[in-house]
Amino acid sequence: MRRLNAPVLVIGCLLGAVVALGPILWALSTSLKPTSRIFAVPPELIPSEPVPDHYYRLIAEGVHWAFLNSGGYAMAAVALSLIFGVIAGYGLSRYPVPGRQLILVLFVGAMAVPGFAVLLPTQIMFVELGLYNSWAALPILYAGHVLPFAVWVTRAHFNAIPRELEQAAQIDGYSRAEAVWKVVLPGARPALLAAATFGFLHSWNDYVTATTMIDSPDKRTLTVALIFFQGFHGRDWGALMAGVIVATIPPVVMFLLFRKYLIGGFSDGSVKG
Amino acid sequence: MGTALVGPALVFVLAINVMPAFYGFYLSLRRVFFFGDEGFVGLQNYTALLSDPLAWEAIGRSLVFSFGALAVAVPLALLSAMGIRRLGRWGMVLLTVVLVPWAMSPIVVALLWKWILVPSPGGLMGSLFSALGYPPRDLLTDPVLAMPTLIAIAVWRNFAFATIILAGGLGQIPNDLYRAASVDGLHAWESFRRITLPLLMPSLLIVVSMLTISYFNEVQVIIGLTAGGPIRSTTTLAYQLYHTGFVELDQGRGNAIAIVMFLINMLLIAIYIRILGRQPGGAT
Repeated sequence: MRRLNAPVLVIGCLLGAVVALGPILWALSTSLKPTSRIFAVPPELIPSEPVPDHYYRLIAEGVHWAFLNSGGYAMAAVALSLIFGVIAGYGLSRYPVPGRQLILVLFVGAMAVPGFAVLLPTQIMFVELGLYNSWAALPILYAGHVLPFAVWVTRAHFNAIPRELEQAAQIDGYSRAEAVWKVVLPGARPALLAAATFGFLHSWNDYVTATTMIDSPDKRTLTVALIFFQGFHGRDWGALMAGVIVATIPPVVMFLLFRKYLIGGFSDGSVKG
Repeated sequence: MGTALVGPALVFVLAINVMPAFYGFYLSLRRVFFFGDEGFVGLQNYTALLSDPLAWEAIGRSLVFSFGALAVAVPLALLSAMGIRRLGRWGMVLLTVVLVPWAMSPIVVALLWKWILVPSPGGLMGSLFSALGYPPRDLLTDPVLAMPTLIAIAVWRNFAFATIILAGGLGQIPNDLYRAASVDGLHAWESFRRITLPLLMPSLLIVVSMLTISYFNEVQVIIGLTAGGPIRSTTTLAYQLYHTGFVELDQGRGNAIAIVMFLINMLLIAIYIRILGRQPGGAT
């Protein structure tokens, strides 16, 4: 392992970077070309005359509303899962809880079961509860998917924060809740950011839950709107790739900003790949 | 007090992740079509499913898809993790770059690759074919090539995630061991086989079980790229569940598939939790 030589390593790295980013950059390039140049032979890797037309096209089709829906659903899901997750993580870390081992195993199990495996009964359940095609459906489901990880990762961080810090704050006259708010939560910032980033990526990137739980065009997520757009304008590759870029920017920016915490969270807890 | 704090999250998780499994089992014993419950049918949905050769073929394709993707992703991730460790700071930059596809939505990945694979001399893959002297072919409508193509895209999407965990595992192996090995005159391959592999085994097992669960349940990339076709060649059990339950709306039978999938997942997860439980302490 020590003797792997440098040229092989450099070539391997370049190849890896090209394979990972090449397709995305090609989509970006396509999205900026005028329609007449998209199928040019030989392909233009960099558009000779970049135009924003395809992005305007998406707005003309109302796709920006779906973009806002996706953002709203994701933020609501993150807020829900953080509130429930922090409270439970704190409880598990600081208090004796009956059946604690069983609860922890349940959370790990729930973390690993993909939502898709139980999506069909969930859909029928939501139809019967009147939640199907409601604004609340997706935030509730996404929060449920992310919650086990939020509990797991915050609990691990709370465990690492000494109780003496809280006790000192309480001696200074703060209530327990205030002590948690002022001392424990700031200390667990990496865990909160890891859970929030994971929750955002999970919610924003979902398609199959959204397409089976939402029916009205005005409540659609961006992923569902793009697949509908493809259904009507399947050969409009410029606009479709503009959609791919627009759908990719928020999660990738979130990931790049908070990758340190997210990757740290993976070693504390564990996430589905 | 502890119970009051944990209770709400516990109820939430039970309601969203556990209750549907039981409800699905109840529905799988009934004839349900287009949200209309036509009554109890016992195990009929299961017997029909298990005596259907198409269902067994779908299970077979799930195995081909999952193990095919694993067989590519794990060695690739191991190799990348070892390379990245040697690069130091630049390794982390590279790792971040190759993780970008993992941060993308699977259905968006499907749309993206649909465009990459367009069989035209103006498409990216098409021009590669032309450069190699072949006419462009449509990999997604070829019954033999569609499955390997999906496997390649599934690997593209998340092998870097496996790389992170393996790179973390490699970081835990003390460098002294390698120094001692080279003093003892061990070759690179020998020290890999006798030091790296055994000490990395816990991380490797975690990666394998997480990827297995992820690939076994992969459905969005298939929906977006091939919709199970051509001629069912990419209809895995996960896609079959999607098609029966959400497209044909045969919900009794769909729930029987869901329960079968759920049980297979539980088995995979039980293995995964056991591995995770053995994790602290490292090389046990």
